[in-house]
Amino acid sequence: MDIIVSQLMTGLSIASILMLVALGLAVIYGVTGVINLAHGEFVMLGAYAAWALQTEFGMGLLASLVPIFIIMAAVGWLVEVLVISRLYDRLLDTILATWGIGVMAQQAVRLAAGGELRYVQMPEPLSKSVTILGATDSAYRLFILFVALALFAVTWVIYRHTNFGLKLRAITQNRAVASSYGINASRIYRLTFAYGAGLAGLAGALVSPLKSVSPEMGTNYVVDAFMVVVLGGTQSLMGTLASSGILGELSGYLAFYSNDTIAKALVLLAIVVLIRFRPQGLFTARVRT
Amino acid sequence: MSGKTKTEIVICAAVCLAILLVPVFMNDSFLLNKYARYLVLGMLAIALSLSWGYAGILNLGQATTFGLGSYCMAMALKLKTIPIHTGPDGLPDFMVWNNVPELPWFWKPFYSTTFGVTAGIVIPLLFAALLGWFMFRGRVTGVYAAITTLAAMVVVQLVIIDQQAYTGGFNGITDLAQFDVAGFAFDAYGSASYYLVAICLTASLFLALAVTKSKAGLIVQAIRDQEDRVRFFGYDVALYKIFIFSVSGAIAGLAGMLYTIVMEFASPTFMGVPLSLSVVIWVAVGGRQSLVGAMLGALIVAGMQGALSESETFLDSWTLVMGLLFVLVVLFLPKGIAGAVETITARFERRDPAPAQQPQRTDAAGAGTHHLESLP
Repeated sequence: MDIIVSQLMTGLSIASILMLVALGLAVIYGVTGVINLAHGEFVMLGAYAAWALQTEFGMGLLASLVPIFIIMAAVGWLVEVLVISRLYDRLLDTILATWGIGVMAQQAVRLAAGGELRYVQMPEPLSKSVTILGATDSAYRLFILFVALALFAVTWVIYRHTNFGLKLRAITQNRAVASSYGINASRIYRLTFAYGAGLAGLAGALVSPLKSVSPEMGTNYVVDAFMVVVLGGTQSLMGTLASSGILGELSGYLAFYSNDTIAKALVLLAIVVLIRFRPQGLFTARVRT
Repeated sequence: MSGKTKTEIVICAAVCLAILLVPVFMNDSFLLNKYARYLVLGMLAIALSLSWGYAGILNLGQATTFGLGSYCMAMALKLKTIPIHTGPDGLPDFMVWNNVPELPWFWKPFYSTTFGVTAGIVIPLLFAALLGWFMFRGRVTGVYAAITTLAAMVVVQLVIIDQQAYTGGFNGITDLAQFDVAGFAFDAYGSASYYLVAICLTASLFLALAVTKSKAGLIVQAIRDQEDRVRFFGYDVALYKIFIFSVSGAIAGLAGMLYTIVMEFASPTFMGVPLSLSVVIWVAVGGRQSLVGAMLGALIVAGMQGALSESETFLDSWTLVMGLLFVLVVLFLPKGIAGAVETITARFERRDPAPAQQPQRTDAAGAGTHHLESLP
């Protein structure tokens, strides 16, 4: 029994991290159609921001979450204004431009903070472990799970129940018609991008105590997160939630039964097949246009 | 043959001639090896230009076919080292370390170099054809095609790294024999290898040029610009895409084989994400819709990177500059340097025959074509 629960919890823990990273990507891709390959670097910058705030100013991780969100949202806003806003009519090129931005961010961090691994202290009250149904799990991992769900809920409420979300959905459905009704699409895109980048920063800060922080850490996240978005369907927030759950549990089990490498290859293979046979994702009824 | 085609052939021939003449003026074997490496990367850029620039298929996994070619050549060359770098029964050394009892069946045909060379082109070609069939029959396009090629590459690389006993894993296949044809050995640092690479480059460039000028090549470009319209005309869109994708894969496979010859090993990094994305940069900078431009982009960018990589501090800031350059090219020169050159010469040509013409007229004509191009 406890081995099943512990497997389940491992999967949930992977899933919650996936979801933290993928949420920002899903918001950006779902609304603007931009494939943000710099998303992994936004995550990495968030982790470095947590590290810098901790070592330079002695701020605890929990206290630094809000500043990190604001910093990263500003970074995202800047990237949107300088680069992305010029590329909305050439979406394939956004892959290239954002990848270039990612390279620059990685190298800038390497020059500024050095290439060696950095470590972020876990918040004191959360460094204990707790027992659930006979299986022990770290309190911090549970905390991440709750934060991930909370951020999802916040995004959901913004998307479904605010004026901003209404405009957002209108633009997603038809930008031209929405604009002619007086919605400032460029402004909404800009804010969306900033929000997505802020979420990525939060994800980076939250995973930083679990994994070592390095300039290259973002590369893995962006692939995994993209897979979550594709699996979940680009228009559906619920899809993102479900698919991070599925992918998290799946990689947990596959890694348990075979090895990490093969688990990863199988997940990628599944994604390739999925794109071919169900490009709209598993959880959307609407067809990609 | 149109004047434009003639100019293109002349430019390609001139560039290839210049490349072939390099060893006449230079006798530094270390530099020759380095230049041969860049030329191989130039071939890889030609392959990507075919699929990305001409067919609109952004292949983020171009290095897959390159790596497959490289491994085929390495397997053939490894088996030629018998009995130096091998175990008791002529087993490659890394298999001995991994306790493999006997040579696996798929290694056996590689005793023949002819088979190895053929496989180095046919296997990448088949891989590309299969992946192309899988994607294009399902009408996977644009971003989704890019992601599929990327994911497929990572899968192949992971499997090769994981099957250490048969592929050498992370280390790849090292300690190879020299490639030889009928007793003539190609030393990686000799001018013979350089010529081999330069001749293959010339052949690939002209093959690619011929493909783009053929009827199939024109249809492929039409598909790039307006896929549905070509489909309504009754063409089998997927078939043409598979065709160009396979040619691109075969050229990349040939390049991979040559890379093994000049580098003297094969490694999983040859089919890694960093190499694949570097090719995309080279092609984007050089000009994706110009074969020779893409090739020169690879030579220039990879060459600059190689020249600067000797000093540590330079390399660090170089990567930063490279990223910035790339973003700027994507933003302001979507057709790369070759596209910019074309625009400038076109402007001059249009002005020269009729100098009395009003400049506004030229602008209007320019805007007109642009408008046509940007129609949905």
